[in-house]
Amino acid sequence: MAEQFAEPVRQHLYSLNLGPQHPSTHGVLRVLLTLDGEYIVEADPVIGYGHRGHEKMGENRTYLQFMPNTSRIDYLSGLLYNHGFCLAVEKLTGIEPPERARYIRVICAELNRISSHLLWFGTYLMDLGAFTPFLYCFDDRENILDILDRVSGSRLTYSYCRFGGVTRDIDDVFIEQTRAFVKRLRSRWKDYHNLVTKNVIFIHRTRDVGVIDKDLALRFGVTGPNLRAAGVPFDMRKVEPYEVYDRFDFEIPVGEKGDALDRYRVRLEEMEQSCRIIEQALDQLPDGPYRQERVRLKVKPPRGEVYFAFESARGQTAYYLVSDGSPYPYRCHVRVPSFGNLHCLTEVLRETLVADAISILGSIDIVVPEIDR
Amino acid sequence: MAARDEVVRRLREMLGEAALAPDEDYAKGVSWTVQVPAASLPEVLGVFKEAGFYLESMTGLDFQDTLEIVYHMNTYEPRSRMAVRVLCPHDGEVPSATGLYDSALWQEREVWEFFGVRFAGHPDLRPLLLPEDSTERPLRKTFGTVHAYRKREEIYG
Amino acid sequence: MTEAVTNTGGDWLRLIVGLILVLIFSQLNALFLVWLERKVAGHIQLRYGPMEVGPHGLLQTIVDGIKLVGKELITPFKADKKLFVIAPVLVFMPVLVPFLVLPFGPELIIRDMNVGLLLIFAFSTFSVLAILVGGWASNNKYALLGAIRSVAQNVAYEIPLLLSVMSVVLMVHSFKFSELVMAQQRIWFIFLQPVAAIIYFICATAETNRAPFDIPEAESELVAGFHTEYSGMRFGLFFLAEYTNMFIVCAVATSLFLGGWHGPFGFSLGIPGVVWFLAKTYFLLFVLMWFRWTFPRVRFDQLMNFSWKVLIPLSMLNLLVTALVLKFV
Repeated sequence: MAEQFAEPVRQHLYSLNLGPQHPSTHGVLRVLLTLDGEYIVEADPVIGYGHRGHEKMGENRTYLQFMPNTSRIDYLSGLLYNHGFCLAVEKLTGIEPPERARYIRVICAELNRISSHLLWFGTYLMDLGAFTPFLYCFDDRENILDILDRVSGSRLTYSYCRFGGVTRDIDDVFIEQTRAFVKRLRSRWKDYHNLVTKNVIFIHRTRDVGVIDKDLALRFGVTGPNLRAAGVPFDMRKVEPYEVYDRFDFEIPVGEKGDALDRYRVRLEEMEQSCRIIEQALDQLPDGPYRQERVRLKVKPPRGEVYFAFESARGQTAYYLVSDGSPYPYRCHVRVPSFGNLHCLTEVLRETLVADAISILGSIDIVVPEIDR
Repeated sequence: MAARDEVVRRLREMLGEAALAPDEDYAKGVSWTVQVPAASLPEVLGVFKEAGFYLESMTGLDFQDTLEIVYHMNTYEPRSRMAVRVLCPHDGEVPSATGLYDSALWQEREVWEFFGVRFAGHPDLRPLLLPEDSTERPLRKTFGTVHAYRKREEIYG
Repeated sequence: MTEAVTNTGGDWLRLIVGLILVLIFSQLNALFLVWLERKVAGHIQLRYGPMEVGPHGLLQTIVDGIKLVGKELITPFKADKKLFVIAPVLVFMPVLVPFLVLPFGPELIIRDMNVGLLLIFAFSTFSVLAILVGGWASNNKYALLGAIRSVAQNVAYEIPLLLSVMSVVLMVHSFKFSELVMAQQRIWFIFLQPVAAIIYFICATAETNRAPFDIPEAESELVAGFHTEYSGMRFGLFFLAEYTNMFIVCAVATSLFLGGWHGPFGFSLGIPGVVWFLAKTYFLLFVLMWFRWTFPRVRFDQLMNFSWKVLIPLSMLNLLVTALVLKFV
């Protein structure tokens, strides 16, 4: 893209505060831009406006008490974070959840992943100036929220998983609704493609914009769909299969050059793959208990540590728990994917236009509270 | 796997057998743990860099007797994650990894503001998530409510 | 009224009555358009739009207007106060003038000047000055960026706009609206000048800062562009001016390319001319809204490239071909 623009003349540089109050910074993010006309000379993301100290809170709470915090770290894929935390503690303690619980968790987690991607789709298009797809996505997303609300009792911050199972069993209505949703979502792809993917303005706004290639991703620790768009098939669900992901037949969509268009395609395809996982999980869903009965409320893991990585909607996420044998974690660190994804913007945003900065910021799909923790 | 084995081989030569501890069944989520003296950290991370690893996560642990910085290195292959652990006294210094990994720019800033570990050679040690003028070190066990402040061997001994 | 027109003071009376009608019409029209836009947006987006105030929310914009009037007029501390106050007035005044020459019907032109078309373009370019003044005076970087973008965009799109209009003028040999419309009694110019019509409509979209060319006020990039700092009725004036501008460009398109008050191919079907005129104009307005709620926004450099590299050569070529055909055929 850069060669298309004339060589910028570094004369009258000025700085522009993009945020913390701005329509498209997705939360309270501030990017301090040094501009030359409309060209960005330097971009310095300033984060921390939403710092709540989740890691410190983790040290002050029992493992179970920290569960609600996890879904507030990234409020758009809260269930995935619950799930990951559960798995980390189970691995540390040695709790084995029953089969049915594993499947329920996977189904709900994948539903949550789709809802997160749908929201990204809508807001990204809104960043590009198209308002309508946003409401189409929200219409679909609402279905997921209803389904998950029915089973977990909340729409965003689920806290649905428990050590050794889930809080509540799913019933036939849930299965029916989920199947109906998957069917409905599949019938909507055509609308999305007609409205957005084939739109010539959209293609021109995204092709070759904000290229994050493999080398850049490696230097900045970029993961998730942003990395896969660069052509690296790296997905925790395949590379280090946790839960029951190794029993499903699904693909990892990859892009070619890592521009915004690739990222868009990868996420769209990922939703379809999540649909496949959900369908297979529903087909294989075993009967039996939905939670392990003999789990103490105050879990006491043995001394030691665990680093558990899983794939959240935005990339590779990990909990690093250190236990001293008490019911309180000695250290509870969360590796969040948006941290690296946002950091690489300092490099990517250089020599682009303000309009592209917004587009790139939207295309990497950050959730700022997740970075701030 | 190949990248991991290559790193293990080179680190064995560099640090000796005792510094490396394997974890065959991946129970802790890492395949090898490498205990590194602070001085040789840049070389060790350089080995990782050459093998195509990225700096996945970096965090600190506060013990009564010492601070410990844990680097989790990973590459795009199954079961390749390795932990690099560096001990550092409470007022000590650790060489910065910013020359090798750009992601360390922010991650070191985070560890610096939360634990007070100085990274020698970091170009821009400003607080990242905390307010610009903060002097507290919130993740040290001397700050706020804590349930336990232990010696390192109480957990890892 | 016909009596008044025939006596000596008739010309003046006609003008005064006309002006009052223009004021009323332009205000009502703008209010209606705002409502229509929200309704169109709603129905495109699987929702209803305003439904609460009045039947199908018809009175919503009036209530919004009252709210805007009641709001505090905030002037930023470091703004250029005089210019800041003048800008909204500056943007709203010129948009009233074109109504004087718009041919609503065979008898419904307030002043059928022989430079009518020129007058409209002269006054509609005025709004860009107001935007520049408003953006500059706000002393806000977003507003300034919006103003700069607006000026560049208007300069770039004025040229193909006028060139495409020129090819119609060449065919009629007149700038007078009544003659331009009369020439289309049999066949509308959109069939004779399809390229010019399309170029005109694209440029008109850009001239009125409408999506997908709404970069001067690009919400997701520049917060609100040139009117970021404006509040209350000052903002309301920018808003009303935008919608009145839309009406004007669509009305001009109707009279230049869609046969004005004429029905298709000379058949009026017994419907009065003014109804034909308004129906066509509102259809074009609907198309503008349709654009806005369907397309993403183009980027600034793409917008400029499109004008300078595609539209201007194409409209030049169109003008040349028109001239050659008129000369030799």
